[in-house]
Amino acid sequence: MHGQVSSFWSRYLYFVGIRQQNDQLLSDLEAAKKELSELRESASEVERLRQLLSMTPPADWTRQGARIISHRLGPNAALETFLIDKGSARGVSVNTPVVSPDGVVGRVLRISPTAATVLLITDPNSRIPVVSQKNRTQGIIKGEGPSKELTLLYVAQGAPIEEGEILVTSGLEEIFPKGLPVARVTSIGRSGSSLFQLIAAVPLFAPLQLEEVAMLFKATALTSATGAPATPVPVVSQPVTPLVTPPGGAVPLAKPVKGPKTPAAIPPAPGQGAPVPAPVIQAPAPQPVPAKPVEAPKKRDAAPADAEKKRRKPARTTGQ
Amino acid sequence: MRPANIVFWSLVTLLGVWLQNLVPGVDFLAPGLILAMQEEKWTVPVWLAFIWLFIHEGTGSMPFGAGILWYGALAGLYFFGHWLFEARNFLFMFILGACLGAMHFFLINVMALLQDWSIPMERLLTESAQQALIFPIEWGLLYLIHHYLPENRHAA
Repeated sequence: MHGQVSSFWSRYLYFVGIRQQNDQLLSDLEAAKKELSELRESASEVERLRQLLSMTPPADWTRQGARIISHRLGPNAALETFLIDKGSARGVSVNTPVVSPDGVVGRVLRISPTAATVLLITDPNSRIPVVSQKNRTQGIIKGEGPSKELTLLYVAQGAPIEEGEILVTSGLEEIFPKGLPVARVTSIGRSGSSLFQLIAAVPLFAPLQLEEVAMLFKATALTSATGAPATPVPVVSQPVTPLVTPPGGAVPLAKPVKGPKTPAAIPPAPGQGAPVPAPVIQAPAPQPVPAKPVEAPKKRDAAPADAEKKRRKPARTTGQ
Repeated sequence: MRPANIVFWSLVTLLGVWLQNLVPGVDFLAPGLILAMQEEKWTVPVWLAFIWLFIHEGTGSMPFGAGILWYGALAGLYFFGHWLFEARNFLFMFILGACLGAMHFFLINVMALLQDWSIPMERLLTESAQQALIFPIEWGLLYLIHHYLPENRHAA
């Protein structure tokens, strides 16, 4: 009886401090809602970044994440592009491949020190040589504009290709590494007069839902461009597997690293990809030669013959 | 410049960039430039054009110079037109908007031709039409707001 009276008193009659308590609880609820919203946003970001990090770069390639800071904007935005927050100061150069966890997004069209413009594969000016994953049929995939399907060009009438097949980069243009997924075949048609099939494909990413992307760098290119290994590049210490392997278990060989043909001249970055073999070690010198200080070449693509000419030129000049 | 005007032009810039993000291919800052040429000292439109040019050149995908041509042609059209029309007439703004829409189509086509690019024509036509329609309406709104700014001699 006493308990019931006490409960009745405290529940229905004694309201001292209830208003202040109510205000305090409402304030706490607002703060908790705000915190919950921020945490949900963080969780979403973590999930996206985790997917980005789960993407294993091909051998001799490293990746660097970038955030999309702007999509098409303004009257001069005539191409299908977006802007990312990394530029030449972080080693980005024109034609750097840009990928998402789902597949190839595009390539860098132009750069500034702190930002870069990425040309999407959906733009009509984008053409990428691809190969179908199952039947190994080659072609060139071309964008057709926003919210339109891509077109696979130059596939001969008799070439085998199936609907639903994934198209991967062939690496022939030496911009994208081989084996990155680009698009999925949606329809295959035939035209009576054309020598080629009419093939449509959809990109594997949603352009308007992208928030973060990854750029791929050849390990040597990034080292020589920045002078030092870029800090955010994740270390690939485990055996690297290519993203896509052809059926039959045959693993495609990684393309040889482009750039200077004298890998010994480039100081290997600690922990950056596979170690570059030094041909100097394989050919033992008959006599010990005092080691000269080696310099990293200033031009990435400078041929060794050119470098040799440049070294010889001052000698001739001094002799005249 | 008065503080109210500084706030006004800052808000015009922010809202213009936001709207340009929502409707790509349309210049929401151009009506502001015309209004600045009509209502402010000559230094104000020069500064605004300088800042907005950087925004357009940085965010656009055309080679450097397209923005200069764009705003240069707009200023030229305005100076040429205000000899023939009353500068604050809505009809003049409507004609200016139509010229701007046509210029967007022409300029992008020429720049794309020089770069050997292909541009989707349907989208370009849509953007040109949007530009022609949005320009006079936005100018009218900005004109009204600007006239009701505090310390404005036209303010009621």
